[in-house]
Amino acid sequence: MTAQQAGEREATSVPGRNAGVDSLLSVRNLQTHFFSREGVVKAVDGVSFDIKPGEILGIAGESGCGKSVTSQSILRILPRNGKIVGGEILFNNGDRTVDLATEEADGRVLRDIRGKEIAMIFQEPMTSFSPVHTIGDQIIETIRIHQDVSKEEAREQAVEMLRRVGMPNPARNIEEYTFNLSGGMRQRAMVALSLSCRPKLLIADEPTTAVDVTIQAQMLELLRDIQADLGMAIIMITHDLGVIAELTDRVMIMYLGKEVEHGTVEDVFHRPQHPYTRGLLASIPKMEPGRVEIEPIEGVVPNPYAMPTGCKFHTRCPEYIAGVCEKRDPPLTAVRPGHEVSCYLYGGREELE
Amino acid sequence: MLIYILRRVIVMIPVTILISVIGFIIIQAPPGDFVSSYIAGLEAQGDIIEPELIDSLRARYGLGEPVYVQYWRWVSNFVEGDLGYSMIYREPVVDIIAQRLPSSFTISLLSLILVFVIGIPIGILSATKQYSLADYTFTVIGFLGVATPNFLLALVGLWLLFSWTGTVSIGLYSPEMQNAPFGLAKFLDLLSHIWLPALIVGTAGTAELIRTMRANLLDELPKQYVTVARARGVKPTKLLYKYPLRIAINPVISTVGWLLPVLVEGEVLVSLVLGLPTIAPVLLDSLLQQDMFLATSIIMILGILTLVGTLLSDILLAIVDPRIRGAV
Repeated sequence: MTAQQAGEREATSVPGRNAGVDSLLSVRNLQTHFFSREGVVKAVDGVSFDIKPGEILGIAGESGCGKSVTSQSILRILPRNGKIVGGEILFNNGDRTVDLATEEADGRVLRDIRGKEIAMIFQEPMTSFSPVHTIGDQIIETIRIHQDVSKEEAREQAVEMLRRVGMPNPARNIEEYTFNLSGGMRQRAMVALSLSCRPKLLIADEPTTAVDVTIQAQMLELLRDIQADLGMAIIMITHDLGVIAELTDRVMIMYLGKEVEHGTVEDVFHRPQHPYTRGLLASIPKMEPGRVEIEPIEGVVPNPYAMPTGCKFHTRCPEYIAGVCEKRDPPLTAVRPGHEVSCYLYGGREELE
Repeated sequence: MLIYILRRVIVMIPVTILISVIGFIIIQAPPGDFVSSYIAGLEAQGDIIEPELIDSLRARYGLGEPVYVQYWRWVSNFVEGDLGYSMIYREPVVDIIAQRLPSSFTISLLSLILVFVIGIPIGILSATKQYSLADYTFTVIGFLGVATPNFLLALVGLWLLFSWTGTVSIGLYSPEMQNAPFGLAKFLDLLSHIWLPALIVGTAGTAELIRTMRANLLDELPKQYVTVARARGVKPTKLLYKYPLRIAINPVISTVGWLLPVLVEGEVLVSLVLGLPTIAPVLLDSLLQQDMFLATSIIMILGILTLVGTLLSDILLAIVDPRIRGAV
């Protein structure tokens, strides 16, 4: 770690912020960049958060804000041109803490954690399974990678997990291919696949985006039930603030690879501080009688190859302070214990002088 | 599955009949027949031909009758295993094919194996190490392989063989093995001769397979089920073989069927250049000299081979891909 990074961390660690001692996962100043011929995209550029065992954390933001890349960084399943260039991903794996950011991507340590300690659900249930293998084949495979059990035992566990997620006929469903299942069943099969080894942390990357609202509601209910049942922590990644409100304890709002606001759902939704968070909340269609208009955020998301300097949101911000916001990244400032904002409206301007 | 196979076999029957009709018509289509080209040959040598001789020749081969009568006679004999009489070789067609087909088949089969053994691993390497030095190298070699005509490769092969061993005869067997009974020794001798023609015949196919395999695998690699499998802790090598490769190879399996006739086709010039006793040069001769029984029979057999190959591919595909099984 460079002296500059250490200084930044000093500046960002404020009272009320979890120090990471009792955390299950502690992400510190994560930077994940994508390298291509056109240039470098700083998809994630200094993100920090913690999650405790059994907690549900939401990560929200528009497309391209780096929320999915954050989750891919944790499991180190980034596309080939994506690299973690800085920061730490500390995972408390029972007796020892491992830094997932520095481990070899497909090495032993990561492979043992993937699917067993940290599991992931993806956007498309249909394409999460290989089309030419039965769902049972893939669930049993996962169980047998991580547990020293016979085929029959693994099969029993798989059937049991399918029953738990509410598959109507687990013993038969296990022999089925995804193309034989309905959308809702695929969702459930996908959840069963990710939970087959009872992970401590489940990362759900937009699991409700590609499905209709009925299945979306079923999915959220299922996740809540299973969470109550198995007690794992969940990171819920979505652009849908309704899903966040419905499911999570705390939420982190991201914009262009940066964390802009962070706090309990209660704080962030009822007392949004950052102009971007306020904009996001205002852009949700309201169901109140007589009011149908929505207020979209002005402007467009900047070109990822030519990011604005300073606060990334200043080009679209209605409360832009000339001569301040474009200078440097605003530091995180606590507005209440556990509620932090990265915006010069709430402090940090002294450091500029 | 059994119903699927049965249905496929039943569909083959009308297709086979169609092939026989089309094959027969095409062979009959050029003006004149074997007798006229035979007579033209004799006249070119200065012989005077009696009209009676022409008529008797025509009558002997049944050439004077309407086409459908000729077709029917040929088909009924064909079904009974009588493929007619070759006018140029003056031998029953069955004997010629029986002599030539096995060597053709051996070369084709070995080519096919070489195409797969060389093409698939290189295709996989090219896809998994996309834009690496190895990928670029094999891409260049691949394009060269597709673009270079077989006969040129055969000539180069012949020349190389001559400069190394001082012999130009390739043949299929060493002279001392020519009449030996078939056994392990003779088989090994065959292998030591046959690899060169098999390699040459298979070059274009290998190059194409490398490209196909690379493209298919590159399509599959970024798919979500691959990422999911990775996120479940599946080992990288096992992941590659079990998931994307399994799917990427399907189109390859479905082309096995029509690779066989393509290989026989590719054999023509190679066999001519290398002087190999395969079926291909015979087909060329029979077409040039309008030896209708021989030509039609060979075309018919190639057609049936294609059909059987396609059937085999379809069955294989149904075995490896449950989506096809399910759609049956």
